[in-house]
Amino acid sequence: MAEPTAAPVADSALHLAQADVGYRRCAVLTDVNLTVAPGQIVALVGANGAGKSTLIKAVVGLADVLAGTITVAGRPARQARGAAAYVPQVDTLDADFPVTAADVVLMGRYRPTRWLRQIRPADRAVAADALARVGLADRARTRFGLLSGGQRQRVLLARAIAAQTRLMLMDEPFNGLDVTSQDVIVTQLRDLAAAGTAVLLSTHDLRLARDLADTACLIHGGRAVTGPTEQILAELPGTYGYGSQAADLHAARPGR
Amino acid sequence: MSSLVAPFSVPFMGRALAELLLLALVCGPVSVLVFLRRLAFVADALTHTVFPGVVIGFLVAGWTGIAGGALVAALLTAVALTVLTRWGRLSDDTTVAVLLTAMFSLGVVLVSRQHSYTSDLTAFLFGRLLTVTPAQLAQTAVLAAIVLTGLAVTARPLILRAFDPIAAATAGYRLTLLDLGLNTAVALVVVAAVQAVGTILVIALLIVPAATARLLTDRLTAMAVIATAVTGLAAYLGLLASWTASVRYGVRLTSAAAVVLTLVACYLLALLAGHLRRRPHRPAATVTR
Repeated sequence: MAEPTAAPVADSALHLAQADVGYRRCAVLTDVNLTVAPGQIVALVGANGAGKSTLIKAVVGLADVLAGTITVAGRPARQARGAAAYVPQVDTLDADFPVTAADVVLMGRYRPTRWLRQIRPADRAVAADALARVGLADRARTRFGLLSGGQRQRVLLARAIAAQTRLMLMDEPFNGLDVTSQDVIVTQLRDLAAAGTAVLLSTHDLRLARDLADTACLIHGGRAVTGPTEQILAELPGTYGYGSQAADLHAARPGR
Repeated sequence: MSSLVAPFSVPFMGRALAELLLLALVCGPVSVLVFLRRLAFVADALTHTVFPGVVIGFLVAGWTGIAGGALVAALLTAVALTVLTRWGRLSDDTTVAVLLTAMFSLGVVLVSRQHSYTSDLTAFLFGRLLTVTPAQLAQTAVLAAIVLTGLAVTARPLILRAFDPIAAATAGYRLTLLDLGLNTAVALVVVAAVQAVGTILVIALLIVPAATARLLTDRLTAMAVIATAVTGLAAYLGLLASWTASVRYGVRLTSAAAVVLTLVACYLLALLAGHLRRRPHRPAATVTR
């Protein structure tokens, strides 16, 4: 499969070169090559347990890079802490945690370099603006756990927007979302990409992957294959656990 | 009215109350972080693992050596817990349980070599709240100031780490350092409290205040304030109950245990209040004629 047209490594937001990643000397993925350029959205696809989350954790330093290199904004990932923002799947967080939507978005402004004064008035303004962008300004004081699943996911996107980084890592943000929240997130992702933010997005929704990302990275059997999204999806029917969804997608492809 | 205040004009009662109020100041916020991180078992382990340190400190330098022994044991445990739970191959609770039982057994072996085994063991486990000295008070104040200063600087990252550890790592925080910081804060609280309330009862001060506060509020700052206030109130009421039972009615009521029981009573009341607060409001029935 052909490699996508990649930005020069030095200019890329995220670059993995022959990277083996895993835990405690045990590789989960080997020989991963992937470049995400500024303004590009790349979809990570693969079955549950394939290693999509491990790849994201390796970028933020929570999984080990056993061989090869991972660079973020041209610097080794371990030296580029704080250069990315992270959006988890909402179900992985404790819904009973006593924080409001505004508190969660403000977390996007926390920086390890600011021990003495973590939050300034300007940070609150940035957080309020981010919450407004996802259409939840009126829910700022609502407890996070009392929001719907879709609203909570939008709050987590607002937190990443408030971080104002050039790279956004998203771990299955579309799982179980209502249509409204899905539309808001898709719109915001397109706006962010248009403004130069690079997005690495893991998803099971192949239709969204095709609509949002021109490049996809398929994780399967401990390996990663990167290419144009259409080309990657063409490999899927009957394989990798995506049979019927991929077949539907191909049947609905324009011109067929 | 004087019966509510007079007992605390007796020097040892005044010092006991002052000691507990200092502990309340620090236990309130620390217990909230323990609650958010679900570290009740780790906190329990820390209270047990300081035990051999307490005994060794006592064997080396008598009662004045307890704080030093506890401090060394607590800091070693904080580091060991952080390392073992972060890089150990066993699950967190298994690692903690192994450390807890090993250290506590070591403490029992050491204290059993004393002639006054039973009385010493009781003092180590349940504290000597009514024999708190001005020096101990100063020591608690210093430890409380260190912990509160540390929390003022690290509270936000610690909350982010509790809520979403991957986001904390992505933002650039080193989770190991944050974990070590919180474990050390818990360890210092245990050291501060161990002589007054003992290694067993100190766990109540690290768990019950935040659990009570969580039943009454959904806000983090309010949780810390309520947890502190509840601990202070339980300290006052518990000491008063202990004094009144002993002096007026001749019934021996251990002061530290009375304080903990009062704290638990506050928790039960909050449970009731929380239940009433969360009960859905039914619209009043409209009667049509």
